[in-house]
Amino acid sequence: MDASKKTLVIGLDGVPCTLLNDYLEKGILPNLKEILSQGYSLRQMDASIPDVSSTSWTSFMTGVNPGEHGIFGFMELRPNTYKMAFPNLNDVQAPPVWDILGNTVNNRSSSLYDKFNGKVPGGFRSIVLNIPQTFPAPAMNGILTAGFVCPDLRKGTYPESAYDYLKSVGYMPDVDAAKAASAPEAFFDEVFLSLDRRAEAYMHFLESESWDLFIGVITETDRLHHFFFDAALDPGNRFHEKFMLFYKKADEVIGRLFNRFMEATGGKGLFMTMSDHGFTVIDKEVYINNFLRESGFLNVNGSREYFEQIDSGTRAFAMDPARIYINLEGKYPFGAVKDSGREKAVAEIKEALGSLTRDGRPVVKSIFEKSELYSGPAAIKGPDLVCLAHDGFDLKGNMKRQDVFGNSHFRGMHTRHDAHCLLPGSIGAPGRLHIESLAEIILSNYREA
Amino acid sequence: MDHLSILENKSIFIIREAYYRFRNIAMLWSVGKDSTTLLWLVRKAFFGKVPFPVIHIDTTYKFPEMYRFRDEYAKKWGLDLIVGRNEGQVAAGMGPKKGSKLDCCNELKTNALKQVIEKNGFKALLLGIRRDEHGIRAKERVFSPRDGNFKWNYEDQPAELWDQYKSTAEEDNHFRIHPILHMTELDIWNYIRRENIPISELYFSKEGKRFRSIGCLPCCGPVESKASNIDEIIHELETTHTSERAGRAQDKEDAYTMQKLRSLGYM
Amino acid sequence: MEEKSLHIVIVGHVDHGKSTLVGRLFFDTGSLPPEKLEEIKKTCEAMGKELEFAYVMDNLEEEREKGITIDIAHTFFMTQKRRYVIIDAPGHKEFLKNMISGTSQAEAALLLVDISRGIQEQTLRHCHILSLLGIKQVAVLVNKMDLVDYSEASFREVDSGIRKVLSSLNIKPAYVVPISASKGENVAKRTEKLSWYNGPSVLQALDSFETLSIEDKGLRFPVQDIYSFDGEEVAVGRVEAGSLKKGQEVFVLPQKRRSKVVEIRKFLADGITEAPTGDCVGILIEGAGLKRGQILTDEVKSDITDTIRANIFWMVDKDYKLGIPVTFKCATQEVKGRIEKIHRRFDPASVEIVENNASIIKPAEIAEVDIKLDSPVTVDKFSDVPELGRFVLEHAGFPVAGGIII
Repeated sequence: MDASKKTLVIGLDGVPCTLLNDYLEKGILPNLKEILSQGYSLRQMDASIPDVSSTSWTSFMTGVNPGEHGIFGFMELRPNTYKMAFPNLNDVQAPPVWDILGNTVNNRSSSLYDKFNGKVPGGFRSIVLNIPQTFPAPAMNGILTAGFVCPDLRKGTYPESAYDYLKSVGYMPDVDAAKAASAPEAFFDEVFLSLDRRAEAYMHFLESESWDLFIGVITETDRLHHFFFDAALDPGNRFHEKFMLFYKKADEVIGRLFNRFMEATGGKGLFMTMSDHGFTVIDKEVYINNFLRESGFLNVNGSREYFEQIDSGTRAFAMDPARIYINLEGKYPFGAVKDSGREKAVAEIKEALGSLTRDGRPVVKSIFEKSELYSGPAAIKGPDLVCLAHDGFDLKGNMKRQDVFGNSHFRGMHTRHDAHCLLPGSIGAPGRLHIESLAEIILSNYREA
Repeated sequence: MDHLSILENKSIFIIREAYYRFRNIAMLWSVGKDSTTLLWLVRKAFFGKVPFPVIHIDTTYKFPEMYRFRDEYAKKWGLDLIVGRNEGQVAAGMGPKKGSKLDCCNELKTNALKQVIEKNGFKALLLGIRRDEHGIRAKERVFSPRDGNFKWNYEDQPAELWDQYKSTAEEDNHFRIHPILHMTELDIWNYIRRENIPISELYFSKEGKRFRSIGCLPCCGPVESKASNIDEIIHELETTHTSERAGRAQDKEDAYTMQKLRSLGYM
Repeated sequence: MEEKSLHIVIVGHVDHGKSTLVGRLFFDTGSLPPEKLEEIKKTCEAMGKELEFAYVMDNLEEEREKGITIDIAHTFFMTQKRRYVIIDAPGHKEFLKNMISGTSQAEAALLLVDISRGIQEQTLRHCHILSLLGIKQVAVLVNKMDLVDYSEASFREVDSGIRKVLSSLNIKPAYVVPISASKGENVAKRTEKLSWYNGPSVLQALDSFETLSIEDKGLRFPVQDIYSFDGEEVAVGRVEAGSLKKGQEVFVLPQKRRSKVVEIRKFLADGITEAPTGDCVGILIEGAGLKRGQILTDEVKSDITDTIRANIFWMVDKDYKLGIPVTFKCATQEVKGRIEKIHRRFDPASVEIVENNASIIKPAEIAEVDIKLDSPVTVDKFSDVPELGRFVLEHAGFPVAGGIII
């Protein structure tokens, strides 16, 4: 097998391009620096909209927009109800890269697959570790262990032997984020431990299995960011040192995997690191549903739970992070907007949200309509509107808060514009990168000459 | 004093305390085993006579056996029975198939009860809920104040100790009072057996199935069981750990996912 | 097996291993349904962990929080001797009201102390509450012995320190037990690793406790209400102490009027001659005019007074300022009054007196006070007859403090 046709992708969940640049400058990331000196470039990248891990990672692995892959967030409502459902890999409608490479596409199709169908030989073996939104593990050509959310490691891992191995080394699919606020020291300990175990498992698979595509994701970064992103750049923060120490450790892990990979491929393999979104510090959390309520779009009956609180007369509601759905008649139990009234409702909400300010600063940077963002067979399931906020305003779709603005124990929020991708300088079109374009870059590496 | 007598005395003390505090009180009787046990305890507390109205919220969808049972014992025990029905919604054809089940419950139960309370000006209601019956009820108090919207603020409840129950404050619209909160499902059955309390035949196995709780016909499913009398029900409860939840793997995964999402602020 | 279950409360600082202990108790006594155990194993596995007993408890709490049904089996565990009901008593200061509400129902307490940390703030606060609530059956569990290699010397050191602190709060632990909840050492069974220790395991300690027995005391029958039937006035109430006998001579307090029990009534029971402690009955006595709040006794031993000296714990998050009116509720008595003097107030988390002769009481503080009532009540010292020695203070219809009479 041609060694240049091997690919190693290290995913770094939620790692912003700007932070990497900053830490590189400060000398915290010697391994990445060394890699960059070998002809690689670090580029800022756009994430999916919404910039939530489930959506963005699915865009990464399928190389298509949510209108094709069908994942718009961590939760959806069951058809004709306000009851929550949690989509998993079975709900992803487009084939991921490993299925295209491995001849396991089955009955799915996508615009990316059409492009490569018959142009890659197939039969390539992939190792896919910890990509969010990949539970339950499918039968595939290779090994997969699911990332967030993985409620059952056995069901989240394929094949069984890989599960046995992971269990034997105490592999942790996720850290216990609930600890972050109540026991931060213990949380940090767990984050470091989790990275150690992950690194051990990744190195094991890298060295002892045969494979063509290897994707290993580190998700501890995202967990740290959610609770401690204010520690990233503030030397006065009591967790600053620990935060940077984690990045040093992660840098070591990347260095080790890179070196081993280059040894194995004689320096010819395709290597990249990437993230699914960036991060920035939260100034205020913004509870969109309360804004909708106060603006008369949403009626709530507090005696019920979650989205079942939506009451008659509601014209629109939001789900995390800032997906807004028009409460259409026939689509929802208390649907109050007729199809013919949809455009008007959309326009009114856009105007209302556009004028939302806090201390004189506008909150919303841009509002997109469904048709501007999504195209494909799943687009119909998408939200009617999606907002992007200015940095610092973390848009939330929960139903339990009473105010429009508030703060909590969370310190970091996702950003769409500051994901990163480190890849060979010779690869990738000029201009801004988009997460949906990475799958094509990977597949191109296997294209028959 | 034996276990069941301790439980009984605790309940009777609460019932009398409630009646002392609220002469304009009523009790809810669903005709199920718990509220029938409560009704029995109320009769004991007042030496055989129930001194306040007994409300049955009638969704019109109850089992025929339940209506028969209700009317038989209302007569036998001389009850002042108020049948609460949301007539407007019943006339409009509300049902589990029209709109969601949620709407149906909301209109035919919650709103029907609201109407009864408003019409009669009840300041307190006795309810036959048990602490072990539903997770959230682990946090319930015996005297539970509600505001006008029926809201229960379970995150900030008044302290309750040494059988001293909260007095009425201005913001309290009415009280929910729970005299059998401390009983378990098994306690109830043991007490029913000891006291020989009449109970709907729906609880006993017919053709391999019985109802573990009874309510509206369209929304109630029987469980597999051969228990056809009280002794057999008690034996069944003592020997099986399997609850209604057994086998619902999807729910477990969803619950885990929810907890994870919540910890990251997504809920 | 004993018919009565024992209600226990487990108190201790947040990280000292409470969840792990509860999980261990459930597991080692086989009180966990197999399906539940399987589920918890999976959850731990999904987090890359060996079975951690803390998850048993966390899992239950999580379920409660979300309102998912819990089976009966989950709220208690069983030994061969009896059932144990674990009462929920959250440790955080914010949950003081809940902690007190829970702990007030407990018959025994397990006090958990991490050997490496000793007694910490929350534990101290809990100990004060235990002491005030009069919970006498206490076992101290010195946890995480595995971290000190089960060293006897380390244990002895902590042991004497704990006993000292507790004795200053008038708590005499029945046992101080070295354990490792996570490893299961000395919880359900004695182990070799602690061969130098001669005392009982946790379960043995629990089994040696007693369900609250009814002591042989004088009669206390507070009148709860009066019902009229065909011209008869039946007084109902619960025998709070002693027993009530048909034909018995009684005093009606606080008036000290003499009377006699003519009849004891219960529905569907004839010819009752005696009602034991805890029994709710109706009675007919000689002479009319009984009222709620009066107490029937066999002797006049109680205090009849309008001034109460008591220790109170302040449960709400607003300060008390001298002069604010309160309602004193003790058994079925309810009298208005105010706190007249605050002899001292202190923070139960530190044991240090905050202020003598104070004019306010702050949230979560304990204070020794004099309460002046508008009319006399019948009370006992808490140490003599707890049922008439404890009370709740309300302000504007809301319970603000609990107290015991000293």
